[in-house]
Amino acid sequence: MKDIMRIKSLLSTDIEALLNQQIKKEAHSSALYLAMASWCNQNGFDYSSDYFSKQSDEERYHQLKLFKYVLDMGGSAISPEVSGIKHDYTSLREVFEDALEQEVAITQSFKNIAANCMKEQDFVTFEFLNWFMKEQREEEYKARRALELFEVIGEEGTGLWEIDKHVNKIKYDSEAAE
Amino acid sequence: MIAAKTQNAVNFTEVFSTRTGAVYQCDRERCWYIDFAGKLVKFDYRGLMKLKTSIYRVNIEALLLDNSKSPEIEMVFICACNHCYFLNLLQIIALKELLEGTFVMLELNQIIHDRLSRIVI
Repeated sequence: MKDIMRIKSLLSTDIEALLNQQIKKEAHSSALYLAMASWCNQNGFDYSSDYFSKQSDEERYHQLKLFKYVLDMGGSAISPEVSGIKHDYTSLREVFEDALEQEVAITQSFKNIAANCMKEQDFVTFEFLNWFMKEQREEEYKARRALELFEVIGEEGTGLWEIDKHVNKIKYDSEAAE
Repeated sequence: MIAAKTQNAVNFTEVFSTRTGAVYQCDRERCWYIDFAGKLVKFDYRGLMKLKTSIYRVNIEALLLDNSKSPEIEMVFICACNHCYFLNLLQIIALKELLEGTFVMLELNQIIHDRLSRIVI
């Protein structure tokens, strides 16, 4: 009996489901960052708004990269529904705290997929995930550094204005992330 | 009824069968035939995956606890497939059991292929 399942797709059902979940998470992240950009803009934090708009684009790019991989490997990529996006924040600090929390959750999610790939010996997907692992280094670094500005500069006086101006200057230039 | 349908399928390899139905694989056509609920229906790879998704998605527990007088009939319609199933609750449970067994056997078939014919020396 021919192995039609393997001929049609490289991905196992479980890994395909996990990748589709990740596509949804990236779409959710992208929408969340856009909501953060909106809040920042409405409250006069123009640089932070730009920063979150760019982050939103990046998450969308991650989503499409995963989407293409699932299709390329013969799987069925699912365009996700996105709902429950938080739009209201009490402070700029809360926005950045949520952004870091979001990145940590995404990293955890990729670690979980990688663990499952190892378990199934799906080294093809495991290797594909390496790009995202490196990307998460940068994402977490930037989110953490942004939050640290609140301690370094302080929120008093023109502090928030200074923080907003510095957010866009955060760069991660480790050669490993290139 | 099942016996008559099964006779048509003797050229196929049986993947899995239960008392209520059977799944056969046709290597030449690269597809599967499902003998269930009185008919033999052909599914290609995408169709079989869609059928699996739609049957697994049925919340059997919720249907069992449903006190309303609505008939316990679920319509399973697969896009790009010429057939659809009208199934009662017992049939849904039976089809789910049949599919679960089928996918275990297909996975086993993959493991056998990996171990026997895909060995890199």
